[in-house]
Amino acid sequence: MKSIKRTQRVTSLIILLFIIGMAILVLKIIHESSFYMMNSDQLQLGYVYDRKGDVLYDGTGKGSYPDNYFIDVGNIIGDEKGQMDNTLVARNLEKLNNYNFSDGLLKDGGKAAIYTTLDHAANRAVFDAYGYMKGCVSAYNYKTGEMLVCTSLPSLDVTKGYDNIQSFESATLLSKNLYGTVPGSTQKVSTVISALEIMGSGLLYSKSYTCTGKYLNQTGGEIDCHNAYGHGTQNIQEAFENSCNPFFAQLIEDTDLPFERLKKQYEKLGYVLNGDKPKYLDIDGIQCATASTTLENPLEFKTQWGCIGQGDTLVSPIQLMMWESAIANETGRMTMPYFIDHVTNTRGTVKEKAKTKYSDKLFSENTASGVKQIMLTNGADRYSYLISGYNIGVKSGTAQVQEGAKENSLLVGFVDDPSFPIAFCILIEDKDSGWLTTENIAQVLLDNLKNNF
Amino acid sequence: MYANPVAYIFSCIFVIFAHSAMLVNIWFNGNFSETRDIAVLGAAVIILDIAFFVVILFFKQMSYVLDFLLILILNMSVIFQSCFICKFNIKHYITCIICLAASKCGYILCKNHKILQSNKKYIYGGIGLLLLLVLIVYFAKHDMWIRIGSFTLQPSEFIKPLFVLACATSIADQQKKHKILIFNVVYENIALFCIMAAICLVQVKSHDYGSLPTFISIYCVGFILRICYPKAKFSKKKLVAVIAIIVVFLLIGLKYAPEYVQHRLHVDIWSDKTGDGYQQSQALIAIANGGWFGVGPGRGYLSNIFAYDNDIVFATVSEEWGLLFALMMVLTILIITAVPLINPTRSYYHATMSSCICAAFIVQMALNIFGSCNLIPFTGVTIPFISSGGSSLLVSGFMTGMLTAGQSPVFNEHRSKSKSKSKKQEEAVPAWRWKE
Repeated sequence: MKSIKRTQRVTSLIILLFIIGMAILVLKIIHESSFYMMNSDQLQLGYVYDRKGDVLYDGTGKGSYPDNYFIDVGNIIGDEKGQMDNTLVARNLEKLNNYNFSDGLLKDGGKAAIYTTLDHAANRAVFDAYGYMKGCVSAYNYKTGEMLVCTSLPSLDVTKGYDNIQSFESATLLSKNLYGTVPGSTQKVSTVISALEIMGSGLLYSKSYTCTGKYLNQTGGEIDCHNAYGHGTQNIQEAFENSCNPFFAQLIEDTDLPFERLKKQYEKLGYVLNGDKPKYLDIDGIQCATASTTLENPLEFKTQWGCIGQGDTLVSPIQLMMWESAIANETGRMTMPYFIDHVTNTRGTVKEKAKTKYSDKLFSENTASGVKQIMLTNGADRYSYLISGYNIGVKSGTAQVQEGAKENSLLVGFVDDPSFPIAFCILIEDKDSGWLTTENIAQVLLDNLKNNF
Repeated sequence: MYANPVAYIFSCIFVIFAHSAMLVNIWFNGNFSETRDIAVLGAAVIILDIAFFVVILFFKQMSYVLDFLLILILNMSVIFQSCFICKFNIKHYITCIICLAASKCGYILCKNHKILQSNKKYIYGGIGLLLLLVLIVYFAKHDMWIRIGSFTLQPSEFIKPLFVLACATSIADQQKKHKILIFNVVYENIALFCIMAAICLVQVKSHDYGSLPTFISIYCVGFILRICYPKAKFSKKKLVAVIAIIVVFLLIGLKYAPEYVQHRLHVDIWSDKTGDGYQQSQALIAIANGGWFGVGPGRGYLSNIFAYDNDIVFATVSEEWGLLFALMMVLTILIITAVPLINPTRSYYHATMSSCICAAFIVQMALNIFGSCNLIPFTGVTIPFISSGGSSLLVSGFMTGMLTAGQSPVFNEHRSKSKSKSKKQEEAVPAWRWKE
């Protein structure tokens, strides 16, 4: 009988292993069933709402909306059709699908929905302010991380479908906020951060360089200033306000700013250097490109030009905006942005409530305070009459694109007000093609956000 | 009649009730276009139930549990397979009848180990012939199946019960050690190792990698039980050595597996869901679509996908009947394999046979279910009793008969003394027994 019991033990072990396997399988299926259904052709999508309950996307297709009602957020909210991959709906079909394992796919009455942090009215106002011009705007609450505005032009009304896709303008199907663009002089914010972090404020403020309108660097490269007559001798605050290229070229060359430490600081800020593999930030499933630049030799034109924000340097507007939060909060940590405030399941129960998250420390609190002060002074000196009613810290930039044939205008900044903590990045493409300025857009943006804040 | 006719009647009612409940579900939730089709299916199932209940009365067994479980699962299978095509699946029905007959053949052939022991050479010969047949079929048609009309037979399937018998019959010779040079050798072990090696070679040559784990499981269980016999406890050293050897062989096998096997090991079904991951991704979507209670018999879309009725049958049943019902189906098969735990076999030979069959059934089921659900690489083997396929059902039936034989063994020496009244009184009285 003992020997027969031995065989029973073997049989029991085999059965037990199988039961364990089945238990794992069942748990896996229940846990991943929404993902499986997301990959099927059968979807019953719900709604996407803005922060006040305004519809941004109607998955049921049953509602009727005014013409171009969704155009301001068309390429960031997107749809399920598959034409736009990097959008909120495309990346969150699982959350939006009216499916759960117990109830199955609900054709009617499902309450699955995504409640975003976006402000539809503000997005619309900013979108309309562009008129015929193109560009993008992103803005968020730098205390909480709530994305309030993320509009990009040209855009589309997803309810109209893609029958005339051939006639769509270039970049209609993507939000420019998520992709790298030449930052122009807004890059100088990163360079100032790095210089302050490495040299300290005492040493940096003691440095002064002369601008004669043109600077011939140590390897024979020529750095032009936008002011052909030159800015004369300046310190860091003056050079920042003047956006003086020769000053920053000389700062990069300075031996008090060790190049290896500069590179490390740039990497800490999130830059991919010298053609390394690109990286992406994940914002509720949406991929946002991180910054990239070339830093090879501090004495060469290419590196200096990169630190000034031209040439190979690319930064996404959202990344530019995120750095502002690390400065405005005076913590050196970026507040991570999010679009989804909460999600409801098929029964309307709230789940996945968003929480504020911060990045690792990019630079010290002292550096953050120092840069904040520089930007606030710049805002007060140069922009208080252009953007009225707000105590703002800003940096503008002009980016040469298409080999200098066109220029884009950028403005990054933040509002220094604890009750209205907004960081933003504004891009106007081909600025010379119209009358619009980034300051106009900033005014519209802040006024609209303030009204509904 | 039975010593306990109440148990017999209760079991009959339970099986008929279970099948009737399934038929009622089809009536209310099914997708059969013709009422007549449901009636035909219902009549066929109930008639087969009743006919089998009558037939088993003619077999003198100490336990009939496996018979009731077999008819329960087979007619469940008939109902499933009919729902997949929304009409009575007569081909599967006939195969199930053959399966029932095969179970009775298996019972009769295997209940007396002395006969099998003395005819062991025919078992080895049978395995050799079948291996040859597999090779001939492969080289002649580059195929694994022999087609007879609309029925297909897979010769390699028939090796399974013979291999189980080879493992079980070798137990008695485990004591006969022969000294070759300085080694104590058991000829049976060498013979079985050679058979296993031959099976592996032929299966690899004929590109039937899916069946290999089943054979390996039978061999491993047989080997473990052989090396532990007749000691009172497991030899841990040997056990560890065996496991280590298996792991080494597995690693070597995986490293040198052909390219298409390697690809299956690493395929990401969701990034290749229209290519190599098609069946698995569709299977998982179907399970999710079915939820706990299914979309209704015949209402699933997975029945439009290739191999819906065999390789991914668990998902097809889950979609139409729900995951809960599919799990009950699996539980029924598990109970079949677990019967020797509840009602122990009467000899080590039958115990070894039962363990090997349990291993074969469970490994096959695991390969099918876990493979189709992307928990392990997809192999394309069948679930015993449920998947369509003549040879699979035939062999599963035969092996269930072998399990039944373990429940009601015949011992020659007992038979010779059976006339003695005192011996008769010493025999244990099982719960269900034939009143002699």
